[in-house]
Amino acid sequence: MTKEEMAPRVKDLIVRRLKLEIDPASIQSDAPLFGEGLGLDSIDALELVLGLEQEFGIKVEDEEVGVKAFSSVNALCDFIEQKKTA
Amino acid sequence: MRVSPDLPHAYPFRFVETVLEPRNEDFSRGTVRVAVSANGRASAGEAWQSPLLLAEAIAQAALLLEGGDPDVGRTGFLAGIDGFQVERAPRAGEILEVRVRLSARFGAIVKFDGEVFCGSEAVARGSVLVKKGTPASAP
Repeated sequence: MTKEEMAPRVKDLIVRRLKLEIDPASIQSDAPLFGEGLGLDSIDALELVLGLEQEFGIKVEDEEVGVKAFSSVNALCDFIEQKKTA
Repeated sequence: MRVSPDLPHAYPFRFVETVLEPRNEDFSRGTVRVAVSANGRASAGEAWQSPLLLAEAIAQAALLLEGGDPDVGRTGFLAGIDGFQVERAPRAGEILEVRVRLSARFGAIVKFDGEVFCGSEAVARGSVLVKKGTPASAP
């Protein structure tokens, strides 16, 4: 799966798991997810960790890795791809 | 049954009393007893009608099972509620069992799944998010 194919799935996961009332397509792939951008917080991060585990079969080992992986949709796609090929 | 260690929570805002089943190593289960006192302020004015008290009871049970330390102070606080369902409010005089398991952890945020039973009857179930530390350290 290419990043272009994975990005819509990741955006859909973010909107669905966090119950955001926005169109997944409106999330910019390179925009920050936390703070500025979508304005997610640490509680949302936990929900994303659970979503990645349940929907992609991927575990986020620690907070440091997670913070980097959750910096944007693009970073999250890279992280998923990296874990899938590892 | 063993008497629980203390928690920073004080009556009338303390809803858990005794550990019936200590948590196991991976915290996949643990059970705490709650007595709904007729004299307690939580029972007065039908305050138990609020599902928030049941969520708080699950959060306190999780903290109690993890090991609260009144000398250190609060080691976690209720930061969120997810998928909470309440069948009915507890009644004064009832003894409740709060069954808790840790379902996820990321950094300082821990998610606990909980169920509240009165005998074999499920009164409420849902997840609580607990932020470890003090509210001042919250993002």
